[in-house]
Amino acid sequence: MKHQIANRWSAFILLSAILITTSSCKKEEVVIADEILHPVKLEVPANFPKFVDDPDNPLTKEGIELGRLLFYDTRLSGNNTLSCGSCHRQAIAFSDGIALNNNGVSGKTLPRHSPTLINLAWTTNGLFWDGGSTNLESQAFAPITNADEMHQNLMELEFELKQVPDYVKRFKQVFNVDVKSAAIVKALAQFQRSLVSADSRYDQYIRKENNISLSTEELMGLNIVNEKCKRCHSGELFTDNNYHNNGLDSNFSNADHEGLYQGRYRVTFNPSDLGKFKTPTLRNVLLTAPYMHDGRFKTIDEVLTHYGNGIKPSATTDHLLYQNQGKLGISLSATEKSAIVAFLKTLTDEKFITNKKFKNPF
Amino acid sequence: MKKFIAIISLFSLLLASCEKNNEVTPLKTLGKATVTFDAVFGTQDFSINKDFMSGSKTYNFTKFRYWVTNLILVDTKGEEYNVPNSYFLIEETAAVPVQDGAFTYPATKRETIQLNDIPIGDYQAIKFSIGIESKYNDNLSLQIGELSQLNGMTNVSWMWMTSYIFSSIGGKVTDGNATKNILVETGLNTNYKSVLLNLPTPLLVGSNKNAAIILTTDVSKAIDGIDLIANPVVGASKANLMAQVATNYTSKVFAVKSNQ
Repeated sequence: MKHQIANRWSAFILLSAILITTSSCKKEEVVIADEILHPVKLEVPANFPKFVDDPDNPLTKEGIELGRLLFYDTRLSGNNTLSCGSCHRQAIAFSDGIALNNNGVSGKTLPRHSPTLINLAWTTNGLFWDGGSTNLESQAFAPITNADEMHQNLMELEFELKQVPDYVKRFKQVFNVDVKSAAIVKALAQFQRSLVSADSRYDQYIRKENNISLSTEELMGLNIVNEKCKRCHSGELFTDNNYHNNGLDSNFSNADHEGLYQGRYRVTFNPSDLGKFKTPTLRNVLLTAPYMHDGRFKTIDEVLTHYGNGIKPSATTDHLLYQNQGKLGISLSATEKSAIVAFLKTLTDEKFITNKKFKNPF
Repeated sequence: MKKFIAIISLFSLLLASCEKNNEVTPLKTLGKATVTFDAVFGTQDFSINKDFMSGSKTYNFTKFRYWVTNLILVDTKGEEYNVPNSYFLIEETAAVPVQDGAFTYPATKRETIQLNDIPIGDYQAIKFSIGIESKYNDNLSLQIGELSQLNGMTNVSWMWMTSYIFSSIGGKVTDGNATKNILVETGLNTNYKSVLLNLPTPLLVGSNKNAAIILTTDVSKAIDGIDLIANPVVGASKANLMAQVATNYTSKVFAVKSNQ
């Protein structure tokens, strides 16, 4: 009944709308049906936390698709050779495989390691290794404009994209604006939020899908990770989205480059945040070497060795790392280390790295 | 239901797009007002590229820029009128290289804001904030009023932290033999502060009259208490000094010169 009333109302309003259109502004074209946006409800796996969409930039099919085009478009860089995808490669879970890369427009070596782009829809506690950016939208401006990264002039970027009729049409359709930098970063954020990795062997095992079982060694690894690593690499996202000093260094007095080496302190100016960096997810971790905010560890074995006996003490070294009878370090036998690596392999998501929806469309 | 909403949106979209074609006669209950922020240095009129003495120091500025936002007029009954979309860049600046010189924002002097569609009435106070509230400061993609990435009031190093620069004073200071290039900026969310100024006589906004408020903005007060020879750059890494500058803006930079 309600439905009927609504239908009658809509018919009435549509009629009035048409009347007004035809009477007062004949030049206007009636909006055609295929220009209406299709809201996207992110497919959230059963073992994942709830996803809360951004009311200021809700996901739409058309927005995500525009974001994908922009993500892989080299027009986003000043010399039109680099796209976001240059340093965030799908085949290796949107990481770059290089400790500190010098692929940017200036050719200078960047001081930090390119982070992965995995399950960013749930990354709600800051982006960058120190959480300096509050949301994906604002974050995008930094790599696009930074002289050592894509070094694009935002005015030029808007101008270049306006030369492409398909972009002009899509920006109008998705955001009802001309090509504008604020809309560019919104579209990029939508695409990045669509990058969900939740189909590893581990996930299928947890969700009891496809009769997937884990081997004895993998299960042993799972138990060790649960016991010794999960307080930071927590939950099904395998990160607490928080910041910890995991004892890579012990001296944070170097304030160069606006506090770049001081971790989250450069954002909060709270001395207890010295040397703290964001917990990266363990998902796809065997694809995303090298490791840490500066890529200093080439292999997962080096990482495990660090946690075993390489952790350096300082006032802010995380107390969770005092696992060795009150002393620093997480003691792991060779068998335990192999089991952890075997388990981490089950977090590799082949569908994620081959998903056609995430591929370079050009 | 979705269809229903879609049609309503379509309807309002059509209405909005037709506005241009209709002669909208202004309602008689609305008036106009201007607010001028007249920059001074102590008792002198402020100008860029001009020497100003203060104690043993001589200042010479190249820019003085700040965001005035969320303007509110308070009438004599104490009721507040929030000026919509009020995000205004007030400035006197030489050309600003944006994005490390990728392009240039031209030399600009802008001290006056034109407010239209103010409900007529008698107003006794004006309130506004210096800076951008966290909702917009934390998300550069939400644009309102004059907020933009293209005017040099954001930059890369700021973007890695937060987004807008709330206020920016640049130039040089000389004290004896020492000369330093100075850059005094605010921009942390905690630097966002509001200013309340009572008007000496009520501002009468009528339908046939352009009311005007003239404020003074004292640059010397903005840097009051900061030794710019010792700390020539007040920025993100000097959070305490930034907080002090932000407090100066809220407590002593602005004064009412006149209103009519």
